[in-house]
Amino acid sequence: MHITHRTEGDVQILTLHGRFDAYEAPQLLGWFNRMLPEGEPRMVVNLGEVPFIDTSGLAALVSGMKQCRQRRGDLRLCCFQQPVRIILELTRMNRAFELFEAEVEAINTPWGQHEHHVR
Amino acid sequence: MRIALVTTFPPGGGSLNEYAFHVVRSLRQKPEVSEVLLLVDELPAGQSYPPDDETPGLAPLRYRPCWRFETLGNALRIRRMVRQLQPDALLFNIQFASFGRGKLAGALGLAAPLLAKTLGLPVVVLLHNLMDTVDLKSAGFTGNPLVERVIRAAGTLATRLLLRADLVAVTMPKYVELLEGRYGATNAILAPHGAFDEGVLPPTFELPPGPLRILTFGKFGTYKKVDTLIEAFQLLAKRSADPLELVIAGTDSPNTPGYLASVQERYNHVAGLRFTGYVPEEAVAPLFHEAAMVVIPYTSTTGSSGVLHQAGRSGRAVVLPRLGDLADLIAEEGYSGVFFEPENAWSLAEAMAKLIDDPTYRQELAQRNYAAARGLPMSDVVDWYLLHFQTLLHQRAPAPAIAQPDVALAKPQVALTKPQSAQSRK
Repeated sequence: MHITHRTEGDVQILTLHGRFDAYEAPQLLGWFNRMLPEGEPRMVVNLGEVPFIDTSGLAALVSGMKQCRQRRGDLRLCCFQQPVRIILELTRMNRAFELFEAEVEAINTPWGQHEHHVR
Repeated sequence: MRIALVTTFPPGGGSLNEYAFHVVRSLRQKPEVSEVLLLVDELPAGQSYPPDDETPGLAPLRYRPCWRFETLGNALRIRRMVRQLQPDALLFNIQFASFGRGKLAGALGLAAPLLAKTLGLPVVVLLHNLMDTVDLKSAGFTGNPLVERVIRAAGTLATRLLLRADLVAVTMPKYVELLEGRYGATNAILAPHGAFDEGVLPPTFELPPGPLRILTFGKFGTYKKVDTLIEAFQLLAKRSADPLELVIAGTDSPNTPGYLASVQERYNHVAGLRFTGYVPEEAVAPLFHEAAMVVIPYTSTTGSSGVLHQAGRSGRAVVLPRLGDLADLIAEEGYSGVFFEPENAWSLAEAMAKLIDDPTYRQELAQRNYAAARGLPMSDVVDWYLLHFQTLLHQRAPAPAIAQPDVALAKPQVALTKPQSAQSRK
């Protein structure tokens, strides 16, 4: 798997390419630990080129989302191949993340609508 | 968030106590958890739980024994305790016989999540097995077909009771599909089991000194045969400058006594061939650690392989036959290997050569397999439960104007498609 990164306004967009499993998950976790922007991070992770994700991959996304929300930002997911959609549904993480069919929608839907109260 | 956990817990010896220990250890380290309340079973006379633990830096841990194995009133007693403690969320760490092996006590106890839910708090059940998949005879419940039918009917009823919780978490995708397909459940979810050995150092991926060892392991003679492997080893040895050793570890299958002895006799001229015979449990891991690769020489298969998982735990690359959907199956589990055509010595020799000639590739496969075998750390698994609780709490929030404590991670809106049925997932 490899990760490409770009910025649109104040939104960081990560596109993941390839299989996303336990072996690859540390790469994304490392990105979150090193590169998460200051302030209230607004992240979109595009999974359109991910043909397979396992629970370790999903856990890495949860970790990133947790870091964003703890800083009053958010992490959104977009563009899903069927195996990815299935695991999101099986784990019910489709209710925990904000999911969008298209990247443009994930970027442009107003951010900061939600009250994220951090202790 | 104040979380209550209905479970067994050390020093109690009930099933799932060790699992609960690891869950609680992780829960207490989470900043969003302010208190962990253990609704545990009462211990036999003369034993007791330790005092409540208020170690600084961790969420306080309080023991509240409120149920007893094999008694009938457990569900009511648990509900009473939950009402008294008023936690924010309730997690059950259970299996079908958690509250009793006796049919009535066991089934009545499983009504506890339903009763607790009437108090209005989010209730999640982590269910470690399904009655539908338990072999009642080997589990020691009954061998009588009539009694088995009665137990199955009670099991169906108990499953329906459990499904009245907000969420029922199971650790295998096929369990989710079973609950959806057979019970019409819409609240069954997949939750990874989690790994206990978070402090254990990973294996070394370097090779030990000495000849490069190729290992095969199992009970041989039926669909696990070593003849082709030995032929392939000979082909490989001819072209390899470095010394090689083929280690055939294990015994005959009970159905084919004498198989390995006959192989040993037939190939006694082959240099570098070693038969270990029976390998005691404590010697299994060192044997795998000494190997450069593990070959799985099956001629047919019914699913994934215990040898593959052991190779993964030991951080070893594997060579596998291209059989049925084995490649897809192991890929779904996160494993990788080099494949060969079954019963084709040239193909197998070529597959093994790939790993010998390219140590970087061999190490990558070894690390990939180790990552797959290690599983998700319990700390990550606990994050998932907290996220589910926070989502459930958020759904219960009365109005957006009121700031809800402890819902930092809850997502207030849902997108994506309607969940699919088990059938459409296939």
